[in-house]
Amino acid sequence: MYSKVEQQFKFPEPKDYADDIFKIVSNPLMQKIYKIYDLVSSYIREFLNKEGFQEYKAVIIGPVTDPGIRGAKQVSIDYYGREYKIMSSAILYKQLLSIANKSAGGSGKIYFFADNIRLEPLETASTDRHLAEFIQVDLEIFGADHHEAMNVAERLLSYVIERVKSREELKEIWNYFEPYRLSRGLKSRKSLKEFNPPFKRYTHKEAVDFLADYLSSHKEILDEMKKLFGYKPKELSYSSEIPWEYEWLMSYLHSEPFFIHDYPRGSRGFYDREYPDKLGLLMDFDLLYPEGYGEAASGAAREYELSKVVQRMKETGEKLEKYAWYLDFLKKYSAPTAGFGIGLERLVRYICGLPSIYLSIPTPKIPGVYSP
Amino acid sequence: MKYSDYPVEEIIRRARLGRRAIYPLILKYGRFSIHGLNIFTENKRFHDLDDIILVPPQFTPRRLKKAIELATREPVFFDVNTKSMIGGFEVDLPIVQSSMGSQDDWNRVAVYAAIACAKAGIICGIGENVSSTWGYDKRKKADQPCFMERALAFLENSKCGGLVIQQNEEEAFDELWNKIYSDKRFDRYIQDGRIGFEIKAGQGAKPGLGGEKIVDRNQALALKQKYYIYPDPEKIESSYYERHSSPDIFTEEILEYRIRKLKNDYPRVKVWVKTGPFRDLEKVFEICSKAGADCLVIDGKEGGTGMSPTVALKDLGLPLIACFIIIRKARQKGFNLPVVVSGRLYNGSHLVKALALGANGIAMGRPFLLSAYAYRFSSFVISKELYKNPFIGFLIDHFFRPNKSSVNFVENFIESVRIEAQMLTSALGKYDLNELAKEDLATLNENLARALGVNYIYEPIS
Repeated sequence: MYSKVEQQFKFPEPKDYADDIFKIVSNPLMQKIYKIYDLVSSYIREFLNKEGFQEYKAVIIGPVTDPGIRGAKQVSIDYYGREYKIMSSAILYKQLLSIANKSAGGSGKIYFFADNIRLEPLETASTDRHLAEFIQVDLEIFGADHHEAMNVAERLLSYVIERVKSREELKEIWNYFEPYRLSRGLKSRKSLKEFNPPFKRYTHKEAVDFLADYLSSHKEILDEMKKLFGYKPKELSYSSEIPWEYEWLMSYLHSEPFFIHDYPRGSRGFYDREYPDKLGLLMDFDLLYPEGYGEAASGAAREYELSKVVQRMKETGEKLEKYAWYLDFLKKYSAPTAGFGIGLERLVRYICGLPSIYLSIPTPKIPGVYSP
Repeated sequence: MKYSDYPVEEIIRRARLGRRAIYPLILKYGRFSIHGLNIFTENKRFHDLDDIILVPPQFTPRRLKKAIELATREPVFFDVNTKSMIGGFEVDLPIVQSSMGSQDDWNRVAVYAAIACAKAGIICGIGENVSSTWGYDKRKKADQPCFMERALAFLENSKCGGLVIQQNEEEAFDELWNKIYSDKRFDRYIQDGRIGFEIKAGQGAKPGLGGEKIVDRNQALALKQKYYIYPDPEKIESSYYERHSSPDIFTEEILEYRIRKLKNDYPRVKVWVKTGPFRDLEKVFEICSKAGADCLVIDGKEGGTGMSPTVALKDLGLPLIACFIIIRKARQKGFNLPVVVSGRLYNGSHLVKALALGANGIAMGRPFLLSAYAYRFSSFVISKELYKNPFIGFLIDHFFRPNKSSVNFVENFIESVRIEAQMLTSALGKYDLNELAKEDLATLNENLARALGVNYIYEPIS
């Protein structure tokens, strides 16, 4: 069936957007993907409003933004003679608004549809799930810890899947892209199954064990990873972030979403809280999609004590003056919160079974590719 | 010259200049500034590598072994292997050009020195403030190369070695390392493992102090957001402003996790740590080893002078020889972390002694600066005295700008160190710099002998 569609429409490569973007975005199949994007956005809002969250307009620029991003460059602008940053994440403002909302008598549950700009390292061009410009639904819950945030994340994902899975558009999208999925390290897709929380929760250590175990009996997978990503897989370590290649592998080996939590300190930004009783471990998590789609969401209980934040900032070599407003806010008004951000384009990619993330929006910015 | 042994001149200078008097007089030797010149002849109160000599043996089984390896001829000094690994980089010679930063005179010639480093197969460092002072990939001032020019001058001309780049707190504002890590022009070199990021945790002549620099009003206004400027250029008009940067804050925990975070965020670069002559250096060694740094660079107090206050040059920090004692202790504890040392090192003998004392390489700063300006000292140009004449000096500056000949001069300098090191090593009956050891040394001082675990020349050597 998909061969019929294929005759009329050539699957766009990243560079094709610069040649004739209108031809791509006006294609009926692509428009079906954009329709799913629209629906997914409204289902997320529907869910969060039902759960008592309040939406705020996302912040675009500020004197400082999230520094905890793996090797990605921020964008500066000249703001009346001062250097301002375009948000790479709204994280500092989430804490501000959650606490402010609560102190004014609200639920303390807040969210943004936050536009983020991250000039990611060029190696991410081959992960099929990084864009330099993207939206994440960024939410924060007053008084919560990371496990409560995980509960919200699994309910949110299950709700959206339940609402969208029987849409007619999906079948055509799945069918068209079916032949491209295998070579991109994705499982075949015929339907979307219903998810039933709770999702499996691995600690970071358990996840590394799981991967090391799998590798010891499947050495050939390393060659496959090299082919898929275009470079030799990095080393797996108990003391750092799980490299993208291994996140893919772990995701590929699962058929249900799952969490990895308790990352080692040193792998994440200063705002992920360290367990007071388990030093060296962070109260944070990633939510991963199954079938090879990789990371969905990333979240944590926030480090909110000034002394700890200062210490952690120094660990990333930050100058305190840069964060003056945030540190002053923590000093005066700080309180515990937890939250996460879920990437909208990645969610659409997963739901539509797209070989690469850039297909999920009409004007994708792929790291290192010049497109409209 | 002096009125008396009471420091009359110094006190008068303080009274006249106030806070400006705390810095040494900058010698415009050959019309470029070079720091920390006479401090040690005036105030030398400690031992250095000159208190150590090299002691060749009569019996040289390794020379025989080398002859058998060569089969057709006797081994000579140029058979000494100088190739090595330092901090994750293959090098032709275990030398590092210190991470010198944005200082005007140095920046003007740094591109030529970088090409020379590349050709010699050594490691080239780029210090802090270069990108924020002179621009990342566009020049902020017409006659000053920007960061990218310095970096690519090395990378595009090199076959081995590596480029080690510092980012200080102020540059964290600009996300320098992130910029590099996501820049297409660096991608190839990052993939090939040719780039290192260096955490600056200290500096030789001023351990515990931040960076100091004198800037003009325009620079002061531009830098105000990121540095401490005195006096405030918006309120007070002056021809001269002090630009201070903070010394950064470390605890054992902060250093450990800063290394871990760097390895986590930039898995494809080597992680180097540059430190100074601190009393708790052994702990630094331990933490860097534990956290998985690729290399530790230690400045003895004789090195990393920059623009340091006179009292810092004189009284702050351990001399390099004391750092070797700490390196010895750390090695005894089983830490094999590669170490590069610096501080007034400039010849092949210094290299040989440092390697024999347990270092993996030496770093040099001022020799590269001086060599790059050697073109100004050719005999037909003009005498030193005439250079000091403001008018003639200006004319010479104008007509003899830094040029490609600097590459040759820096290469010559490196070559001279290499040949000396090869000669001395072969005299010691060894044919690989990596084989140098304590047995090749003897000291002129009994206490030093004990502390370094090296023979004392006046006791029979077994």
